[in-house]
Parts: sequence; structure tokens; C-alpha cells
Amino acid sequence: MTRRIEIGLLYSRSGSYALISEACRAGAHAAIAMVNADASLGLTLVPVERDPGGNVDLYGPLCEDMLRNTGVRHVIGCVTSWSRKEVIPTVEKYAASLWYAVPYEGFEASDHVVYTHACPNQHLLPLLDWVMPAHGRRAYLTGSNYIWGWEMNRLARQTITEARGEVLGERYLPIGSRDVGRMIDEIRYSRPDFILNSLIGPSSYDFLAAYSALGQDDPHFRPDRCPVLSCNLTECELPALGAAAEGLIAAGPYFRGVSGWPGAGDFGSSHEAAAFAAVRELARLLAQRDGSEGDSLAQLLCGDTGQGIVDAETHHTTLPVMIAQVRGGAFQVIQSRKPVAGDPYLTRGHDAMATVPTLRVVS
Amino acid sequence: MRRPIRIQNLGGARAVILHRPHPTVQSLTRQLTAIGLEVTQVWPELEPAALGADFIFFDADMGHDGQFPWEPGASPMPMIALIGSEAPGRIEWSLQAGAHAQMLKPVGDHGAYSALLIARDAFDAQRLLSVEVADLRRRLDERQTVVRAVTLLAARGKTEAEAYAQLRQMAMAWRVSFEDAAARIVARYATDGGADDRLTRR
Repeated sequence: MTRRIEIGLLYSRSGSYALISEACRAGAHAAIAMVNADASLGLTLVPVERDPGGNVDLYGPLCEDMLRNTGVRHVIGCVTSWSRKEVIPTVEKYAASLWYAVPYEGFEASDHVVYTHACPNQHLLPLLDWVMPAHGRRAYLTGSNYIWGWEMNRLARQTITEARGEVLGERYLPIGSRDVGRMIDEIRYSRPDFILNSLIGPSSYDFLAAYSALGQDDPHFRPDRCPVLSCNLTECELPALGAAAEGLIAAGPYFRGVSGWPGAGDFGSSHEAAAFAAVRELARLLAQRDGSEGDSLAQLLCGDTGQGIVDAETHHTTLPVMIAQVRGGAFQVIQSRKPVAGDPYLTRGHDAMATVPTLRVVS
Repeated sequence: MRRPIRIQNLGGARAVILHRPHPTVQSLTRQLTAIGLEVTQVWPELEPAALGADFIFFDADMGHDGQFPWEPGASPMPMIALIGSEAPGRIEWSLQAGAHAQMLKPVGDHGAYSALLIARDAFDAQRLLSVEVADLRRRLDERQTVVRAVTLLAARGKTEAEAYAQLRQMAMAWRVSFEDAAARIVARYATDGGADDRLTRR
């Protein structure tokens, strides 16, 4: 007899980041189907879905609705960091858990959250480490006006400055804004070596289209000379970009066609893969013991007798680190690094690098 | 201009929690361990080993001065008060004990990271200010010496302005502060000029 366990899915199926939500949702559903087909687990996962429609103020109430009115104890969901921070007090209040499958800016390790996509030591730092020797150290930073953009650019500025590079400009757009002209003008005049793009949704699509057009006019702004880098761009947004995606560079734990993580399966993007990994790991923890459906995340992790993917201290995971470029409409991996454990506070082995003296010998 | 805060160097930092065993200690330990600190819990008082800690979290509810191996307010590291009862007397004691930041009990899933950064920033600022104040106070104390040195130099046929300029030249040549140069002049001429009343003014 199989145990029937409800799990929550909290993804916005409309709004500015719907493509990412749909990718995560597809990964979660794929894992649910796989778990339900696997007789050895003895589980039937029943998805309970709520759709905040891209409205950040609906995440908390809809999450509470699931936790209060259904049997859901574990929720897979949220795309923006803003929505995640709205949901955390609710899952804490109900001793529930959130499984978050999107790259984010780090500096968080909630006891009620599992982070199955990358944090900066798994995306931004390797990406900067790759780009500065390859293209130069003069950067232009863009971002959407909320915590993801702010923290990514703060860390990028710090890392670039410590490497004796230079930040030529830093500009933000409100989420959903298509007003990219001023950024493009600033880039045209400052002529950086690379651009870090932490815009999301339509802002990002319009910015990349305008930058691609700029490259048609001036060869300096073509990908081989001054590439645009991203830590959250995956295959799931390529249809929205069309030809403007050509030459974009992204860091991520998975690109289509690469095998290894998260095990068996062919995924459309790392968003899909990370949501899949989240559901599968949750199912593995639940399958271990009858009655565990009432356990909190802490209890599930504490009672784990197998090989879990979740680090007990940080609730982050170890992920492959790859840098890939869009060539001919698909990502092609250009550098593959060793898998790295998530280090949300950059305190595990990064201080030595971060505190290199910035003084230099002058003669 | 405001200094940038120090965000690095928390990895491997040592935190001591001065609190009786309690779920708050568990939650706080979990948070600090996730951030990357090494945590020890002690009660009822800090051992001398606590002098090597980078941060002290202390119980504001049951705490008293005798728990700390230093004078109240003179901790050699940032201190964070764990406040349960927000009674004015307890808050007053926490401040006298030298709290640089606080967390409210019960401690749950968050709050430790901002408390660490705010406490360290307040501690750094306080230390910087103490050094500046000590220097200014010393220079204020030396004011009389400067007046005496200028008078002594002026007594050798210079105007006050010339004597002042000469003292500045000497300080530069000797590579000492203005006040130290004045002290040397006074010491040199004190034998001719009688006792330095600065030494006897107390």
C-alpha cells in the first residue's frame, strides 16, 4: 500500500518571470510522476498548486492557505528572492518547509528552506574568475531593482575591485520596466570589457535585444569582445530572446545535454533540473519511514540514514559549476569546473581570497 | 565619510554563547554554524578562554557583571545581548555590560547575521573613537606645555609668532608631534627656567 502525501507547488504561471516558473513547475511534475511510478518508494505524491500570478503580495497568503487548509507540509516554489522572503515567515510559523530551486544571491540559510540551485560561490564567483582573465576587468553592472540585482552587483563590485578591476557603471530598472535606453547609452560611452546582467524578465529581454543591436553598429559590443554575463539565464528563456541570445554567457549547474547532475533524466534547463532534484530528495526523505509525513524538515534531515544531497548546516547542495555560451541557439559549455558545495555566507574557504591586500608595490 | 562595513572574515570566527542550556541556544547555534562560525556555549560564567573569542552572545535576563573577566563595558570583542524581558533595568544593565547589538528571545530562524555585522561595526567604531579621544585628550593635556615652550623660545628674542613657527620647524625636523617637540623644549629649558608647573599642578 502506498502512502498518499500532498506537496505544495507555489509558482506564478503568469507575470514577468513566468517562463522560469513554468520550467521549475515542469521539473517538479516530472519528479512527482517518477516518484509515483517507482513502487519501491511506496509513495503517491499529490501536488496541491497555488498560482500567485507574479504578484509578490499573494505568496504569503497562498502559502498559508495551503498549510492551513490542506495536508501540505512541504512546498516547492518561489522564483524571486523577494517572494521567497515573503514565504519564509509563513513556513516558519507552520513548521513547514520551502524547497527553492532557483539561483539566488546567498546570505541566507533558513532552517525551513532547502536551496537546490546555485548561490554566488557556485555561479557569480566562478563566472568573474573566468571572465576577467579572458576579457578584461572593466565591468558594467545592470540589475532589476530588488535584492537579487543589488546583492549580485554588490558582490561583483567587491570581487572586481579586489582583483584591481573597475566598475564603469551600475544601473537598475524596476521589475517589468522596458526602459533600457539609458543603460545602453552608458555602455556605449563607457566601453566596458564585459557586462553583468542581473535583470529579470522583460527588462532583460529588451536589454539584450538592444545590446545585440548595438553590436551590429560597433564591433566592440559583440560577444567575442564584450560579452553579457548572467547567473540566472537558462534555456527556458531562450525562446523569449530569439537571435538576441546569440553569444550570451551564463554560469549554471546544468545545461541541456550535459549528464551527471541531477542524475538520470534529460532536462530542459537547470531550473527544471533543480526543481526535479528538490522533489526527488524530498520523496527520498519521506520514503524512509512511515509517519514521516508529519515531520518537520529538521526532523527529516536529522533522521536521514542515506546519502542526502542537503548540507545539514547550510541546507544548500553541492553542484557542478559550468560556464556556457549560446551558440547557434543552444548553450555550449566552454568551461567545466569541479562540483562545489554551496557556501551562502562565503565563509568556507573564501576569506583568504577576499582579504588579499589591495596594496601593491610601486617603484 | 562612513566606513564600509566588514563583511568578510566571519568564516572560522569563534562565538561564545553565555546562556544556560535552552532552545534559544540551539537555534542561535544553528544560525551561527550555518554562517560559518565555531560556537561554544558556557554558563554560568565566561572562562578565561573566552578572551580569545571573536563574539560574545550573553543572556540579558539572568546576567550580572561577575560573569565577565573584564570591566563592564570594556570587552575586547563585540558583545550581543540576548534579551527576553524588555524591562528597563535589564536593558540598562545590558548597555552597561557593553552590548553592541541585541537579539530578542526566543531566537528563531534569523537575526544572527545582522546582529554579528552590526555588533562588529559598533565595536570597531567605538574602538576607533576611543583611540581618537585618547589622542585628543593627550593633546589637550599638552596645551600648557606648548604655551610654555613658545614662551621659552620667545624669551630668547623672538616674537610669539616666530617662536611658534620655530617650534613647528623643530617638530618637523625631529619627526615628532607638535606636543612632543614642546615637551622636549620644556625639558631642555626647565633646568634654567625653574620647575615645570605642569608636573606640580595636580
